Amino acid sequence: MNFKKTVLLSALLAATALGGAANAQDGEKQYRFVMVSHIGSNDPNMGWLTKSMEEFEKKYPNVKTEYISTNNYSVQEHVRLLEQAISTQPDGIAVPIVSSDAFEAPLRKAIEAGIPVVAFNIPDGRPDGERIPYLTYVGGDEYLTGKKLGEYALEKAEAGEIPKPTRVVCASHDSAHQGLKARCNGMKEAMEKAGAKVDELFIGAEPATARNALQAFLQANPDTNYIFTVAGWSSPWAWGVANDTKLDPDVDDKGVTVLTVDEGPVSIEGVRAGHVLATNSQGFWLQGYAPMEWLYWNKEFGYAPQSNILTGPVIINKDNADKWAELVRGVFGDKAYDEQNTW
Amino acid sequence: MKHLVRSQGFGAIIGVVVMLVVFTLIDFSGWWTIQTIANVSQFTAILAFVAMGQALVIMTKEIDLSVGSVYGLAGVAFITMEPALGVPGSFVLALVVAALVGLLQAIAVVKGELPSMIVTLGGLFTARGIIYVWTGGSVHNFSPAARSHPMTRLFGGELFGIDAAIFWLIAVAAILGLLLWATPFGNGLLATGGSRESAETRGVRTDRIKIAAFILCSLLAGFAGILTLCNQPQTHVTLGENMELEAIAAAVIGGCLLTGGRGSILGAILGALIVVSFRYELIALGAPSSWYITFIGAVLIVAVIFNQKLARFLGHSA
Repeated sequence: MNFKKTVLLSALLAATALGGAANAQDGEKQYRFVMVSHIGSNDPNMGWLTKSMEEFEKKYPNVKTEYISTNNYSVQEHVRLLEQAISTQPDGIAVPIVSSDAFEAPLRKAIEAGIPVVAFNIPDGRPDGERIPYLTYVGGDEYLTGKKLGEYALEKAEAGEIPKPTRVVCASHDSAHQGLKARCNGMKEAMEKAGAKVDELFIGAEPATARNALQAFLQANPDTNYIFTVAGWSSPWAWGVANDTKLDPDVDDKGVTVLTVDEGPVSIEGVRAGHVLATNSQGFWLQGYAPMEWLYWNKEFGYAPQSNILTGPVIINKDNADKWAELVRGVFGDKAYDEQNTW
Repeated sequence: MKHLVRSQGFGAIIGVVVMLVVFTLIDFSGWWTIQTIANVSQFTAILAFVAMGQALVIMTKEIDLSVGSVYGLAGVAFITMEPALGVPGSFVLALVVAALVGLLQAIAVVKGELPSMIVTLGGLFTARGIIYVWTGGSVHNFSPAARSHPMTRLFGGELFGIDAAIFWLIAVAAILGLLLWATPFGNGLLATGGSRESAETRGVRTDRIKIAAFILCSLLAGFAGILTLCNQPQTHVTLGENMELEAIAAAVIGGCLLTGGRGSILGAILGALIVVSFRYELIALGAPSSWYITFIGAVLIVAVIFNQKLARFLGHSA
């Protein structure tokens, strides 16, 4: 009896172990997802994406994620990185569609080869049926970012807290970036409804050159009373130029009003200091995490979302900026947060 | 007058006069304002420092593509090391960093006999890469105490409502002008670029001249970076990006021939004035700001043709 029991128990243990091993083999199916990003290590926002991907790896230990980007950004360089990534045959790709024309051929080739693609941060702006057939888009809506910030400013202007807009300049550091153009177009729609003229000004990314260009514009167009910088790091330059030219750029009911984007320390501290009316969050954390999760679910279960997944915009203003500062300090760390506050 | 016509920067003087006449005719009320002149002169001063250094190197028949990155690296070093070294200490360190980059590139060009275009292209990428790695993507802030430090005000403040950078430009340009036209070093520099073999037969240490030119070029770029940040400490890792192209354009518009042996400090300053003025006026006239680079390209080509014809004409008439 004892022997029989021992044999049965051994058989049971062996079956359990074999079953466990089989389950472990299934569970250990390894995946490698690559994010080919336009956000290089010269942009603090990279931290949101890389940190959220680290968290993703903790939840899904059988998935390895890779973040690829360049600091010397150009669309051509981005396409080259994308083609290199595709040639390594990853299990999934997340990529911003910075240029639908330039990205179309390599991404269609990857999708035809069975590599699922999720667009993040910047979608293919063309209608369904024409756009690159990626699984879904995860990110903010650049057009809505400009539009909602514009509408928020108009609300404040109606309430008499800031001047009503007469002329708005949308200061952009990259004239070929579709996402930045969409931000300007969103602002344009909101502001033109209120009767304001909107100009897009290419200021470049070099600080002195950008100041020179913006100063030239403000002096030549003295009716400009709103500046919208489509990068958070250029908002202190805009404020500085307006301040130097005695245009009273702080948030009050006179002078120039500055609006910007991003949930980085510069933008948030600009709002908290009363230099910037509002900024936005496009949910950067989710833009790193959610594409990886959808790629995983697609590979594992065949899931495919039937619509885009919007992670923003969320308006950051003086009422919620303190809370946002706490959140961002949690991601960047206190030291880095303080160092990056260049106001 | 004859001396003026024969001067190396004569083409740039004509260019500036023509430009001012055109701007006066099409936008008199917009161009001739105190704000416009202040804006243009301030940014001209910054670019002129980089262009003067570039001119020195071009005169030796070499080129330095790294100046934009060196401008950025020195600026970043100045701001990043300030908490540890204080304003004077970080100022010295930033200049040492710039000089070191110049020295290393010069050694590679002179001793390694490598083309300066390749060496300094490598320098451009390396220095920019160091900025990215060092800063982690964002340049630190400059503390309120550092902003109000007397040395910061000396380089970035104003005197009688005029930016300090302009006074520094006048002082440094005068020294460089003297160095170029009244010292054996200046003669050696132009001789090295004109005909190296001939210069060596006359006892000019062309290797040392080239090394000195590269170091001076990097130092001037680094100094310009520091001046910029003393004036406006809110910056980004893109500090100095593409500035090498504007500096080369300014030097060439100012009369430097890429074939070496010809150029002037005044010409480089006037070249910088033309580059900055075009950007300003195109924006002021409402042209899309991205057109600026197209206009600079056209001005550059016209300037090269004009300067070459002028050099040939003066050569024949000498």
